[in-house]
Amino acid sequence: MRTVKEKIRALLSGREHRMVLALFAVVLMTVPLVAGPYGVIVMVDVGLYSIVTMGLILLMGFAGQISLGQGVFFGLGAYMSGIITTRCGLSPWLVLLVAAVAAGAVAIVVGRALVRLRGLIVAGVTLALNLVFCSLVVSLRDLTGGATGLPLIPRLPLGGFAPSNTLFSYYVVWIVAILLLVFSLNLVNSRTGRALKSVNLLAGGSEDTAQVLGVDIIRYKVQVFAVGAIYASIAGSLYAHYTGCIEPGAFGVHFSVLVAIMAIIGGMTSPWGAFLGAGLIVSVNEALREVMPAVVGGSTGAYELIAYGSILVATLLFLPQGLMSIWRRLQPQERFR
Amino acid sequence: MSEKGKQRDTEEQAILEIRDVSVAYDGLVAVNGVSFCVRRGDIIAIIGPNGAGKTTLLKLITGLLRPSGGEIWLKQQRVDRVAPHRIASLGVTQVFQDIQLFSNMSVVENVMAGCHVWTGASFLSTGLRLPHSRAEERNISDTALRKLSLVGLGQKAFYSPSSLSWGEQKRVGLARALAAGADLLLLDEPYGGLIAEEIGKLSQLLLELQHRGITILMVEQLTDVVLDIANQVVVLRYGEKIADGTAAEIQGNEQVIATYLGNGPLEGDER
Repeated sequence: MRTVKEKIRALLSGREHRMVLALFAVVLMTVPLVAGPYGVIVMVDVGLYSIVTMGLILLMGFAGQISLGQGVFFGLGAYMSGIITTRCGLSPWLVLLVAAVAAGAVAIVVGRALVRLRGLIVAGVTLALNLVFCSLVVSLRDLTGGATGLPLIPRLPLGGFAPSNTLFSYYVVWIVAILLLVFSLNLVNSRTGRALKSVNLLAGGSEDTAQVLGVDIIRYKVQVFAVGAIYASIAGSLYAHYTGCIEPGAFGVHFSVLVAIMAIIGGMTSPWGAFLGAGLIVSVNEALREVMPAVVGGSTGAYELIAYGSILVATLLFLPQGLMSIWRRLQPQERFR
Repeated sequence: MSEKGKQRDTEEQAILEIRDVSVAYDGLVAVNGVSFCVRRGDIIAIIGPNGAGKTTLLKLITGLLRPSGGEIWLKQQRVDRVAPHRIASLGVTQVFQDIQLFSNMSVVENVMAGCHVWTGASFLSTGLRLPHSRAEERNISDTALRKLSLVGLGQKAFYSPSSLSWGEQKRVGLARALAAGADLLLLDEPYGGLIAEEIGKLSQLLLELQHRGITILMVEQLTDVVLDIANQVVVLRYGEKIADGTAAEIQGNEQVIATYLGNGPLEGDER
């Protein structure tokens, strides 16, 4: 039987995650072999949404800051990558990194302004920022292509050439997603994760206590806001190079709300929740696209919203901690008795 | 020794000095011109009825509130305009009256959170699990387990704080504060809600901590208990200091006897 010390060491070392991570990576690498081209396209979407949702889970689930503006940073990454690579011919990989740093810098400025606000006010302000961002993109037509979009964005290169197939995008997106998952898991099981949880007023934190224990609450809130923005920006850059054409509708409030729904449904107590939430919502979306036209005819747009709303309500009623709580219940862990 | 010499000696021994501190909320004066000195290694009790300004005084020391007048000096540094997390880094921490354990963490994680102040791994180094960050986490977990064992809760490390009794939660709060490595511990009504047996154990623990060199400043309404262990007692009433001295001096102070320790509770005291 393991001692308390051994159990803590196991938790800290991330050993409990390693097996699951390895299995997850193996499954993902073999998906294209069994899923077919359509399945691969769907999984690219799941991967991109998972990256953005993971950043939001760190922000919302761990630090307790509600953001409905992740579309801003997803869009910033996409447009910076699109504009710079098409106009300056720089390496897409380099621009991806530059865009991520720039999005982080913007988030630090915005985050410092938001940090003294609480709960739904932060949600409202970030939502407004998303609206302003979309309006700006439409207005700056010469730079962004306006409402019609920005075409001819180059594919991500590999060595000397740029593979145009979806399979390459699939592996790039999922390798990045797994790397960010490892980073996130390390973060939440550390001094940083505890500091973030200590300021989470939505889930049992206390700012007064955090401060008397030495936590610089402003610094941590701003930093996690920037990390969420960097994740979204990376996903945005990957999205731009994957689709080759971007338009402002993809970065609107609908996107930000959808990502928040994915975080809630997946579960905000672990970065793993991002994959569950994104996986479920994208799957439901695809299923509706297949089934609804055959059953009732016409567009599936309205049914998507009904489906998202229904799943969200059901989750809040029956699994308030999201799908991750099912996994936790199956675990024989002693983390919380 | 001359008066000047005695004063210098006191200043050198002082870990904390409160100089003519005042604060008001919405026009209501909560603390009014309070001054006293805390000597290193002592147990100091601040007593007084509800509304006397005791808890407010602790918040002023930790920086959670800023005084409207006066000065607070900690280890020869003026701290009354310093952010709370920076004051914590000078070796001060507080256990709140309602403890405020983080319910989104296990017991051991709560105590590990207490180690934040003396650790320094950055966002990036913890995310990348750099060697420095890994070593620091091992150190944190070892410290947390030692502190949990000290308060007798080593076997409940993975429990949720809400599953513990009130007395156990108090001990976790104390372990968390000890994990911070503070040499000045501020305790807000540490005996509140404890049964007789737990009160005795807590007194023993506080004396042991004092023996280890930790200075304890506590706010308490159970006067008979704290008078037994405190080296110095400060009595507040309506935000003003009415007495300051040893337990014997306080018990012999006519103003205190008349208003507090005399025939039953002080007017306005709910106990």
